Amino acid sequence: MAAYRADEEYDYLFKVVLIGDAGVGKTNLLSRFARDEFSFETKSTIGVEFATRTIHVDGKLIKAQIWDTAGQDRYRAITSAYYRGSVGALVVFDLSRRVTFENTARWLQELRSHTDPNIVVMLVGNKADLRHIRAVSVEEAQAFARKEKAFFTETSALESINVADAFTGVLTQIYHVVGRKVLAIGDDPSALPIGQTINIDMKDDRQAANKAGCC
Amino acid sequence: MPGRDNEAGGLLCRREISNGDHPLCLGNGSIWNQYFKDAEIVEQIDRDEAMRNILLLFAKLNPAIGYVQGMNEVLAPLYYVFRMNQEGEDASEAEADSFECFVQLLSGSVDHFCQQLDNSSVGIHSTLLHFSELLKANDGELWRHLDASKMNPQFYAFRWITLLLTQEFELSSIMRIWDYLLSNPSGVQEVLLRVCCAMLLCVRHELVCGDFISNLKLLQHYPEVDLEHVLDVASHLKTPVSSYQPYSII
Repeated sequence: MAAYRADEEYDYLFKVVLIGDAGVGKTNLLSRFARDEFSFETKSTIGVEFATRTIHVDGKLIKAQIWDTAGQDRYRAITSAYYRGSVGALVVFDLSRRVTFENTARWLQELRSHTDPNIVVMLVGNKADLRHIRAVSVEEAQAFARKEKAFFTETSALESINVADAFTGVLTQIYHVVGRKVLAIGDDPSALPIGQTINIDMKDDRQAANKAGCC
Repeated sequence: MPGRDNEAGGLLCRREISNGDHPLCLGNGSIWNQYFKDAEIVEQIDRDEAMRNILLLFAKLNPAIGYVQGMNEVLAPLYYVFRMNQEGEDASEAEADSFECFVQLLSGSVDHFCQQLDNSSVGIHSTLLHFSELLKANDGELWRHLDASKMNPQFYAFRWITLLLTQEFELSSIMRIWDYLLSNPSGVQEVLLRVCCAMLLCVRHELVCGDFISNLKLLQHYPEVDLEHVLDVASHLKTPVSSYQPYSII
């Protein structure tokens, strides 16, 4: 079937959300990953911002649809609409502000109440460049991540440390979860309208599909 | 406002603090308690000093709403205009004038910033629904296309509406749009929804051809367009049958 595709080709489309307190650097993490940019004067995110990037994993093209959400309390109430259909999440805190680490428990709880239990979660300690005022130890963050069955990494969007690894780590893991589950990937463009993502619910194979169709 | 006469420019002045009150007092009566709350707001605002004063005062007068990120964007064009027009004069007048206008401007839409009202008839979801109805009445085909591709207006129009389009355009364009909003007898909020709807109609060709991803990118980074054309389209929109009346009491 000849399908019109507005964007480039890809084998998989995964939706990933970025959550965490205001000011921890979610927007700069995304701009560093999607466009290799960093800004000291990032405007507050209002509602949600959206970017995509395609990466290679095991010879497959994986397109990440990343939703960067607003961190301030007021905007939290409306973030649930953005969680829908996401198969991965980066829960971000600021390594130099302890309270943002403590709040990740709340963010995780909220994430889990709106998404599939198999969602791949990466706890991200950002602003690793602020070594002199670090307020959370690696061991503590790692232990918390283990308890929450999440991965953990430290990043610096400013110095471009580990940022791509954090995103590709999540995407690769999602790919493996889907790969374990779905041996034969259907090529039915009607299975999912474009813009929807693969559901990694283990109970329903039919929902896993790739090459989301045409418009 | 309190603290203005403080030489250090901080939030507290020495003679406001009673004997025995100190930063470790946890009671609500402690002036320090209030100080830390205010400092938290100021930290979030982190802008020009006059703008910070205005937003802090607004937050203190509206404790149920407080300071919400993005309010600074709504205030900025007002403050800019007053500041530019009062060059050489006392700049504090610009502060007071823009505060007053900020309160007036937000009076019709301040509920959009209030989480507790999100699902009420004055909350942001209700406004987004009216926005969607307006589009449906004026371009059913485009509405169906966006709806079928699961393009929830919340993904793009939430920011358009709550920030009165301040993050979508350059300052000169914002001035032009706001002139249009403020000069129209239908009221700022009603006209704002019309402009937002016209913004969709002006890129309808791209939207109809686009998929979810390209459409969301387009609407979150609205392209440079002929603004007069957008406003002209907005002026000629049909009003949906269930006419939106944001100020109606019933």
